[in-house]
Amino acid sequence: MSQASTVALWIPLLPLASAAALAAVSITERGRKAVPALAVVPTAAAAVLTFVVLFGHGTGAATESRVRYAATGGPELWLGARVDGLAALIAVLVGVVATAVQLYSVTYMAHEERYTSYTALISLFTAAMLVVVYSTDLLLLLVGWEVMGACSYFLIGHHWERPEARSASIKAFLVTKFGDVPFLLGILFLAHGAGSFRVEPIVQHAIHQGGHGYTAAGAILLIGGVMGKSAQIPLQTWLPDAMAGPTPISALIHAATMVAAGVYVVARLYPVFLVTPAALWILAIAAALTAVTAALSAFAQRDLKRILAYSTVSQLALMVAALAAGGRDAAVFHLMSHGGFKALLFLAAGVVIHKAGTGNVDELNAHGLRRKLPVTFVTTTIGLAALAGLPPFSGFFSKESIAGVAYETATQSGPAKSVLGTPPSGIGWLVLIATLLTGLLTAAYCLRTWWMLFVPLDRVWLRRDRKAAETPAEAAAEVAKTIVPASETGAAALEALVAASEEAKSEPGAVVGVGAGAGTGVEEGTGAGAAASAGEGAGKPRTGPEAPLAELGPLVVLAAITTVFGFVGLNHGWFASWLGDADGNAYRTAAAEAGKLIQPADAYRLSPAPLSTLLAVLALLLGLALVFSALRAKPGTDPNRVLGLLRRPAREGFHADDLQDAVAVRPVQLAADAVVFLDAEVVDGYVRGSGTASRALGEGLRRLQTGNVQLYLTGVLTGVVVIAAALGFGR
Amino acid sequence: MNALLLATLLVPLAGIVALYALPRAVAERLATRLGFYTGAAVLVLTIVLACVFDYAKTGYQGRVDWNWIPALHVRFQLGVDGISLPLVLLTALLSALCFFYSIRHVPDGGSQRSYTALLLMLEIGVLGTFLAGDLILFFIFFEIVLLPMWALIANWGSEGAKAAATKFILYTLLGSAVMVVGFLVVFAYADSFDIAWLTAHARSDVPKGAALTAFALIALGFAVKTPMFPLHTWLPDAHTAAPTTGSVLLAGVLLKMGTYGFVRIAVPILPQAAPTYAPALAAFGVVGVIYGSLACLSIVRKPDGDLKRLIAYSSIGHMGFVLLGIGSLTPVGMNAALFASVAHGLITGLLFFLVGGLKVRMHSAKLDDLGRALYRRAPKYGVLLAFAAMASLGLPGLAGFWGEVLALFSATRPGSGLRQGSYIAMAAVAGLGLVLTATYLLAVVRRVCMGPAAVVGVGSGVGSGVGSGTDSDADGSSAETAEAAEAAEAPEMTELTAVETVTWSPLVLLTLATGLWPAMLLGITNPAVQVLMKGV
Amino acid sequence: MHAVSPLTLAALLFAVGVYGMLVRRNAVAVLMAVELLLNAVNLNLVTFSALLRDRLGMGQVFTIFLITVAAAETGLGLAIVLMLYRNRGTAAIDDARELGEDGALGLKRLPSPTPPAASENDKAVAK
Repeated sequence: MSQASTVALWIPLLPLASAAALAAVSITERGRKAVPALAVVPTAAAAVLTFVVLFGHGTGAATESRVRYAATGGPELWLGARVDGLAALIAVLVGVVATAVQLYSVTYMAHEERYTSYTALISLFTAAMLVVVYSTDLLLLLVGWEVMGACSYFLIGHHWERPEARSASIKAFLVTKFGDVPFLLGILFLAHGAGSFRVEPIVQHAIHQGGHGYTAAGAILLIGGVMGKSAQIPLQTWLPDAMAGPTPISALIHAATMVAAGVYVVARLYPVFLVTPAALWILAIAAALTAVTAALSAFAQRDLKRILAYSTVSQLALMVAALAAGGRDAAVFHLMSHGGFKALLFLAAGVVIHKAGTGNVDELNAHGLRRKLPVTFVTTTIGLAALAGLPPFSGFFSKESIAGVAYETATQSGPAKSVLGTPPSGIGWLVLIATLLTGLLTAAYCLRTWWMLFVPLDRVWLRRDRKAAETPAEAAAEVAKTIVPASETGAAALEALVAASEEAKSEPGAVVGVGAGAGTGVEEGTGAGAAASAGEGAGKPRTGPEAPLAELGPLVVLAAITTVFGFVGLNHGWFASWLGDADGNAYRTAAAEAGKLIQPADAYRLSPAPLSTLLAVLALLLGLALVFSALRAKPGTDPNRVLGLLRRPAREGFHADDLQDAVAVRPVQLAADAVVFLDAEVVDGYVRGSGTASRALGEGLRRLQTGNVQLYLTGVLTGVVVIAAALGFGR
Repeated sequence: MNALLLATLLVPLAGIVALYALPRAVAERLATRLGFYTGAAVLVLTIVLACVFDYAKTGYQGRVDWNWIPALHVRFQLGVDGISLPLVLLTALLSALCFFYSIRHVPDGGSQRSYTALLLMLEIGVLGTFLAGDLILFFIFFEIVLLPMWALIANWGSEGAKAAATKFILYTLLGSAVMVVGFLVVFAYADSFDIAWLTAHARSDVPKGAALTAFALIALGFAVKTPMFPLHTWLPDAHTAAPTTGSVLLAGVLLKMGTYGFVRIAVPILPQAAPTYAPALAAFGVVGVIYGSLACLSIVRKPDGDLKRLIAYSSIGHMGFVLLGIGSLTPVGMNAALFASVAHGLITGLLFFLVGGLKVRMHSAKLDDLGRALYRRAPKYGVLLAFAAMASLGLPGLAGFWGEVLALFSATRPGSGLRQGSYIAMAAVAGLGLVLTATYLLAVVRRVCMGPAAVVGVGSGVGSGVGSGTDSDADGSSAETAEAAEAAEAPEMTELTAVETVTWSPLVLLTLATGLWPAMLLGITNPAVQVLMKGV
Repeated sequence: MHAVSPLTLAALLFAVGVYGMLVRRNAVAVLMAVELLLNAVNLNLVTFSALLRDRLGMGQVFTIFLITVAAAETGLGLAIVLMLYRNRGTAAIDDARELGEDGALGLKRLPSPTPPAASENDKAVAK
């Protein structure tokens, strides 16, 4: 069965070759026509191959093929692929989403001046992500991990003409890099412990030696990287800002794949964490906090992409929480279903923003998008329903499985017998409460978002007395006045207005509305019109078809997947047997019942359990009811006012940016200035001082040179006397 | 092999002789060209050397060994092994590239003949340092390097060059004077200057007390050259003033002489003293990492920050990782030090070339004079700068990564006799330095490469309209208005020229190659390091 | 004869010589003081030569040597003093301070017609 891993070894090379070819096109400026093919075909081929690997692997034990990569003087480095169920499944997710995004970008970004470099970066990103997924060597995993970060940096900064894109790109890179440092140290510690950088010895070392020394330290340090990449508190601030990148990028990197890498790594090295309760506690607390606060923030946002960004943070926190509670299978289940429906939502958001020229939900409300964008309406509804956890969509099953596993861990009711045992029940309670609370809030913001997008707030059957929707211009003016996210809209809109009037459609890169796509995907010369409408904030609907097939196709496919994927979890052990055991061995139901697997049998069960399902559905209904009653109580206003005093801080991400500024940015800036002062005045001061001192000494001696010979002689005599005296006394 | 070793030193010498044998006018005209041919010949010789080098064998290969000053037991010994080979190749490559670059870009300041001759002399010195098998010979080559570099900075540098050159030579002379005293202490006990012999008889011949003194003296000399944190202040001044080729060679190869000295001489021949000083080396290295990065950060936030000065400080940070690796006293650490040295030579060489190119165009390396939005004004140049920045911040898959990671790896488990706890703390601090490094390099990219779109002929309306810049991270104070105005005023920028492309592409390719296939270097250094570290 | 009296005499001569050398302003007097010093040493040499029954007569040899050197030295010194006097009209030794550094301790320049910035040595020579 080593065939699967041998194939896997070659998969990342496809997108890598694509990236190289695209880079060559970009440099030579020849063969632009081939760019879409160069971008899509290798990625699609890689996606097909990930399926080959998945089915080649089947439900067997992990396989590995590797070649020696480099000597370090200590443990060797290996270039190789280790395919277990987890890697095979996640690789499929990456392949599918990447292909969808490349396809979508063909029309969405094709008219961009820098389309070639953009696709090259996506291909490079895909290659890096596949390296992360398949790599057997943790240092090579780190290579992919950080290359992903760099790609994300460049892609967020794709519109580097805009200040918020510049800031966001740097912020994303640095915040994740800050997490990567402990991550790197964690890898080094694990390698010291196991004497190897490879996954298998490290996992085996953890299983056999328990969570002491290097393993425990390694597990705790790895969490830093997980928090950075998966945007958990305290490193969550970069993700909402990262929405300054083009929308397909938000779908690919900042929703479906890269941000899931943190979760993936924990799942990949799960025994290491299982034997370290401290690490599980840290994960649980951070995740619980993140899930709830991010959901609140998502509820309060006004910009569609920021809503989705905060919702991503919140959902990732649920996965991390599931991992903390011992639900590896549940976390991966949710990771996959979330990857599908969040990519769907972002791509749909791209269509919406593209069409309406704005991403502000207040404005979108007036557009009547339901009739203009029928396909998008249906697919977005499916996506939001899945996000909210409405049965029968995938989100319902995956979120329910998290609640279920948390409940089992909390009550320790299931058969606890297993190789490594269950996490503490305290974690279970914490995660359960966080999951239910988040479920409530998620339902609330999903309904709100849906309503704002597709149903006019002053719906006839709600109430009628309010006059017709505020005129768009007023809305824009109001938006421009408000702070943070909204000001970007205003600023960008004005910028776009001026740029549009100055340059018409000649340079789409300069004509950028808030949703990054607003003025970018210009078609048949309507670009100027779209940009201008963005500038006015009026969002005149564009005539013509809803969107090109290359954009709608991925939507429909992803919506279909979202609809059916959840049923995978219904069958006991079906998903678990594909995922395999946490140490890479195959899953056997009998072995699970007998407690011979890494985790207790309950942790592998994904089908809805009665009690936790009831609780989850209650939370869902409560959330829906909350928004609905708010809508009825005061039609025409944003239902998120039920948040009351929380609304404003939540919209600003609970001022985490200010905190970060005060804790990290300012002190570093001060220290930097201090260093320059120190260098010039103290360290170099001694150097210059030694020069000055010898000069001063020379000056002093020069002054003794009076020209009076008798003075010199007096000096000589004194010297002789002193020496004679010293010799005399010394004796 | 022996002939090859001698030839690498004699060919540049022949070049110098030829330059001065020719009539003055002819020599002036042909100087840079002749220099390039000589440099290329040396490069070819070293490549041949790498080809005939037996990678399976450890220890010195191809030994030239002549009695030179019998009264002092000084021998003329040349040899090459896995530790020196990468550095020899790096030197030959960077020198050849500098000569090629000089064909088109000779800095103002005087005779081209002298300029070329000085570069050749520099090359002899550096190559000799890496090839020498005798302490006194090593010292002599070590010193030969100083004079041409001093002259290059003083005569071909920009403003402040004289003072910087004086500081450079006095500081480094002081270092090497101390170092030679250390050599003499070793000689007093071991009665030999032969590096290989001393390494083989490391523990037996120098008593502990004397070894401690000798190590301190020798290490001080190398620490000035490396440069280690409190002894670094000559570097920024020298780099800021030096001409482009001078900067490239200074950062690319001269600093490596310090690390090479540590790996080749200080640690292996005085292993009994090394554990006493290793924590200090590592600690100063780590301080250098943080200190250098913070200094860079401050420079990039100032409008009149000088980009060359910034890269000089970044060198201090990068060499800090090298010192951390050496300070761990493990084979991994030594490999890390050598890898990081070579990577730093490639990447910082590229960065200095790039900034030199900007300086040629804008006649200044100050951030304010460079303008913004290089991505738009010269896309390829901008992308190359971003690439170099990414490489310099240690992006995996590029050369900078492996050295730093291995240094951290070695520091988390240092050699015997060293306290692991304090080393782990140092590794953690150095890790923070990685973040700071990323911060200033990205800030440079943002400041120079990114920027507002072309606003040709747009009045003040734009500026006021978009004045709400959400730049919360870095230069939040600089309003968009200023940026837009700058963009309008930014000087015209020409794209990469053919000479630049040819000169820089080997560096780019090697950065990629060593990053993607680290075994290329580690495979050469590791066997030699294993042998060297046996006694430690 | 006891060695005390010649040694005391030599010491006294030496002290007088030192005093004269350091204090007298006239160059000729300083030369004479130097002569006293040398002769004090000569006396010591002879005394110790006798006291230690020096077979080789080293003390005497050195004394004769010194007398020769002293003669030569006096000749040269007087010639210099003569030139000094001819050039400057005075043989005061502490007035001849052209080799002193500018701004040196307690250096008072000879009254000169031009401000001290101009090269004084040349002027002095020219005079």
